[in-house]
Amino acid sequence: MSDDGGEGGDRNVDGSEEFGPFEAVYAHPVGQSTAARQVKTAAEFGFEGVVVRTREAEYDPGELAGRHNIDVVRGVEIDAQDPERASGAIGNHRSECVVLLVHGGTDALNRFAVEQDRVDVLTKPFDGEGDVNHVLVKEAVAHDVRIEFDLGPVLRDDGGTRVRRLRKLRKLRELIDYYDAPYVVSATPASHLRLRAPRELAAVGEQIGLGADGVREGLAEWGRLAARNRERLSESFISPGVKRGREEE
Amino acid sequence: MKHLPKHLQPRWRYLAVAVETWPDADIGRRAFQRELWYAGQNLLGDPGSADADLRLLRYDVAEGTGGAIVRVRRGEVEAARAALACVDEVNGHPIGLRLTGVSGSVDAASESYLGDPAGSSTQEEVTFEGADHPAHRRDGAVDVETPTGWLGATVHDCE
Repeated sequence: MSDDGGEGGDRNVDGSEEFGPFEAVYAHPVGQSTAARQVKTAAEFGFEGVVVRTREAEYDPGELAGRHNIDVVRGVEIDAQDPERASGAIGNHRSECVVLLVHGGTDALNRFAVEQDRVDVLTKPFDGEGDVNHVLVKEAVAHDVRIEFDLGPVLRDDGGTRVRRLRKLRKLRELIDYYDAPYVVSATPASHLRLRAPRELAAVGEQIGLGADGVREGLAEWGRLAARNRERLSESFISPGVKRGREEE
Repeated sequence: MKHLPKHLQPRWRYLAVAVETWPDADIGRRAFQRELWYAGQNLLGDPGSADADLRLLRYDVAEGTGGAIVRVRRGEVEAARAALACVDEVNGHPIGLRLTGVSGSVDAASESYLGDPAGSSTQEEVTFEGADHPAHRRDGAVDVETPTGWLGATVHDCE
């Protein structure tokens, strides 16, 4: 891919660009498209993988992946009213999925999510009155929880609501840069019509100051996360760096 | 006014845009152009959108699918791409957009990147989650008309 647009990209110097863009989508019954349609469209749009956030969605990741030649990852996004209920839901669903997400949106939920080692991603931290600050971002680093950079409102809102979201996204970006915190990027599409291609998202990122490379990095992070969790779910994994070898048997 | 000498004329790039909507969405050319300009203005500001131009040259969308050619100034392709991504709804109908190619002439853009203009969709009854619904089918994709609104599915979702 050749990008002639000016990029302020000195970010991915470590050369860890092994994953292509992934998108994390909602599916029927929460969204207006089935998981299969989301995956089909994402494959046509040039994504390398899809994380399905909706727990209730019916699909076979392996079958969809084979049909469209794209990675399909089972995720669960927990949408609870308060930390107590979220905690219960995490216990119930952690083992069912590869990627576990917690829908933030209140200060209490955001704070809770970033303090849990069992949580992979805090999504939509700015829904409702939620906000982030340095304390949360430091906790997210300590517990290896990715904070989602939700481009949805940038793509779909306008006027004052969008300005307020952009302001919060900017604050998040500055915090993430400063603490070198893990993050993911998503357009949070609830239907295939809301999906946007990786290059389009990168172009939007460039306009709002996140940078095209920043967006690519955040889209690829989903894939990296899924690969890491799959390795952890495999039988031979004991803890990071420790694997069950052949000798033991 | 006398037109500019050739070497002073602006150079254009033509963006081929694939458009998808629900089958019953009636989105006209004017409405689409208006949203496109709005999106440009809101995201890029007045100077930025004036630079990008974003003029709709060709537009052919029917029964939920189609394509458009958008003219932008050379060097503004990425800004235009971002503005296009922000076109989310036209007249209240959600719209899916993707830039399929960039070209130096209108004909090249439409020939190389827009393919079959009006996709041939067929109407039929499908069984989705145990109930029969009217649906539009096109190229493996099925838009099902459920009592609660349209639902995007694929042929493999329907029995």
